[in-house]
Amino acid sequence: MQLRPLLLAAFLVLAISAVSADAAQAVWSGLVIAENVAQPAPIPPELTKLEQTLKDLFGYNQFEVIGQSDKTLKTGQEDWLANSKYFRLQADARGENDSGYSLNLKLYKENDVLLETDANLSKSSPLVIKGPQVGSGQLLLVLVVKDDEQSNRRRHAEPANPIRTAWNRLRRAIHNVLP
Amino acid sequence: MKTFEEKWTAWLDGQLSGKELLEFEASLPDLAAAHAEKRDAQKLGSFLKEQLGAQTLSNAEFFSHQLHERIARDTQDRSGGRGIRSTWWTVPRLAWSGATALALFVITTVVLMSQHPAGEQSEYLTQILNSRVDPSANPNATISIFESKTDNKVTVLWTEGLQTLPADYAAK
Repeated sequence: MQLRPLLLAAFLVLAISAVSADAAQAVWSGLVIAENVAQPAPIPPELTKLEQTLKDLFGYNQFEVIGQSDKTLKTGQEDWLANSKYFRLQADARGENDSGYSLNLKLYKENDVLLETDANLSKSSPLVIKGPQVGSGQLLLVLVVKDDEQSNRRRHAEPANPIRTAWNRLRRAIHNVLP
Repeated sequence: MKTFEEKWTAWLDGQLSGKELLEFEASLPDLAAAHAEKRDAQKLGSFLKEQLGAQTLSNAEFFSHQLHERIARDTQDRSGGRGIRSTWWTVPRLAWSGATALALFVITTVVLMSQHPAGEQSEYLTQILNSRVDPSANPNATISIFESKTDNKVTVLWTEGLQTLPADYAAK
């Protein structure tokens, strides 16, 4: 009977695919001061891909990272901090979902909570939060899920492919069923 | 042109005559031994004829019936099967299996895709579920959310009216 080996092979492929989806990903969180200066410094490498978007959105020509964190998420339940001298971004991951990570974010100015938000941080969509005006500049909070280059290109090329979405759901369902 | 074996058999049976007989006997290397062998063969033939006389079949009708049935079965197999071994995957079953698999695929796809309600923000974008600022320190603060129009798909949480801080707060 040739059907049994075929079914076994199909199951193995699905199982391996589901397990491979478990690869750890890193979230970069940054406290950024945006301002206009005569001689702007080069943009930090973490923000290179967002440079034009940030310039278009906020109208500043320099983006300086004053605090950052690069946290690798394995369970999707991790907490981390990005600190500067006066500000603290506290991130509390509350699990992984279909598209990314569920986060609770708190921006502290010293010991005071300036801003709190709950967000689903997508693996293909960075989050930028406009904070308070600081001197002549602007505080920005930036969160990016870092992934391998190939995955990013694929996601950007096909940002809303429903078949891929369905496949991801099926893969995640199998992953949840497997121990 | 008869072979030696054919001539030998005919000679044993006494069916060679005339010139053919003379030529054959002349070709034999030992005619005396050949005649001895011929005699032995004739003796054996006579013995067998005596011992194995025609036996009448006691169940001829049953034997004939079995034989006919076997012939009919063989004929039917040859004409119906055309030499192909029978298998569970007949054409109708193949068609039904294919249709069933296709239907299952369509149903699964529709169910999985329908889990994303129309109008809901794409899961490829970061979603802001809720946001708040400290109302006592920032009584006039407002929050809005939008998505950048660039390829980066940046989700922006835009605040207005937050208290302005001195430049010292930009320190690392």
